[in-house]
Amino acid sequence: MILLISTCKYRLSEEEFVRPIEDILKSEGYDYEVRRYYENFEPRKKAIICGTALRDFDYLNHTAKFRTLLDCDVLGICAGYQILAKLFSHELEEIRKIGVYEVDVVEENPLMRSSFRAYFLHKLSLRKVRDPLKPLATQQDEVCAFQIGRRNVYGLSFHPEVLNEDIVVEFLGL
Amino acid sequence: MLYSGGKDSNLALLKAREEFEVSCLVTLSPKSEESVVFHYPNTELVKLQAESLGIPLIMKTCSDDEEGSLKALYDVLTKAKELYGVEGVVTGAIRSTYQATRFQRICDDLGLWCFNPLWLRDELSVLKEAIDLGFEIIFVRVAGVDASLLGRRLDEGIVERFSKMKGYLNPAGEGGEYETFVLWMPAFRRRIVVEDYEIVGGEFDATMIVRRARLV
Repeated sequence: MILLISTCKYRLSEEEFVRPIEDILKSEGYDYEVRRYYENFEPRKKAIICGTALRDFDYLNHTAKFRTLLDCDVLGICAGYQILAKLFSHELEEIRKIGVYEVDVVEENPLMRSSFRAYFLHKLSLRKVRDPLKPLATQQDEVCAFQIGRRNVYGLSFHPEVLNEDIVVEFLGL
Repeated sequence: MLYSGGKDSNLALLKAREEFEVSCLVTLSPKSEESVVFHYPNTELVKLQAESLGIPLIMKTCSDDEEGSLKALYDVLTKAKELYGVEGVVTGAIRSTYQATRFQRICDDLGLWCFNPLWLRDELSVLKEAIDLGFEIIFVRVAGVDASLLGRRLDEGIVERFSKMKGYLNPAGEGGEYETFVLWMPAFRRRIVVEDYEIVGGEFDATMIVRRARLV
């Protein structure tokens, strides 16, 4: 069972940011349950924290409850990246990035093996990370993918569901 | 609501109404089928759809190039904010990162939320959902698809045909393979009837120009 967490303030945004991840899970044959960021959720073996609309930041008022997920495998997408960064005391920087950009993999990892193009839609991100966050990929001066220590906990500032579904599938297979 | 009058914007409109008040429709009317951003034919007919929906319409002509189209979109959304106090924009974008990128940037520049409820949907499922909801959809432009579709109503048979062409045709027409016009859908109070039209163009690149239509 995969725990899928919506960070969307509005249900209409879930059509755009949660449903595409659900479609990947369905096509790969995984069972899942969806919880919203303001609801209580129990840890599962794997969790995916989905992204949300560009102007939506309400989830940042609820980051502490996500700490319970850190014993799971976690894939944090965009808003999920930001939540993971905050849990490890990183200050998010204002970096607006909208569109398709080239990503460079800087550290060998099980999710991304070579450079690729990805779709970005965010206003907050990180230029630098510190221990236990480890940079896995960069887009210009932005750390667009990180791993937390050696755990299967990953943050992606881009949206893999748009052009890089294989990253989500690799995570599911870990 | 960024509204072309076609199937995608109408389906997105239905979904938006479940959660929000749709305070106005915004339609950009390009000069020709060469438009790189917006739906081209029969944009004047959107006035009938707006009347049937009972939602105010802001319409603006724009040039076919990207710069002119996006400038017009910026201007018309600015006007929508001023006139109706809109806080967000809904689009029918499905898979085009080119369109999505540009719409998202403009919305953010204007301080508007941007919603794309059909984003990354399987294209055939969009067609099927519209048919299941009772949409009456006709083809009004083709480019790379048989022109005999023009004026025909989208039905299960055509969806089946598109599903077999999926390798080289975007079934939702997002690559400009075809464009549609909605004569009726559940939010319409009255149906649109086409009374006179003309087909211009060739066998695989043609447009249905509606000369006369009315609400019944």
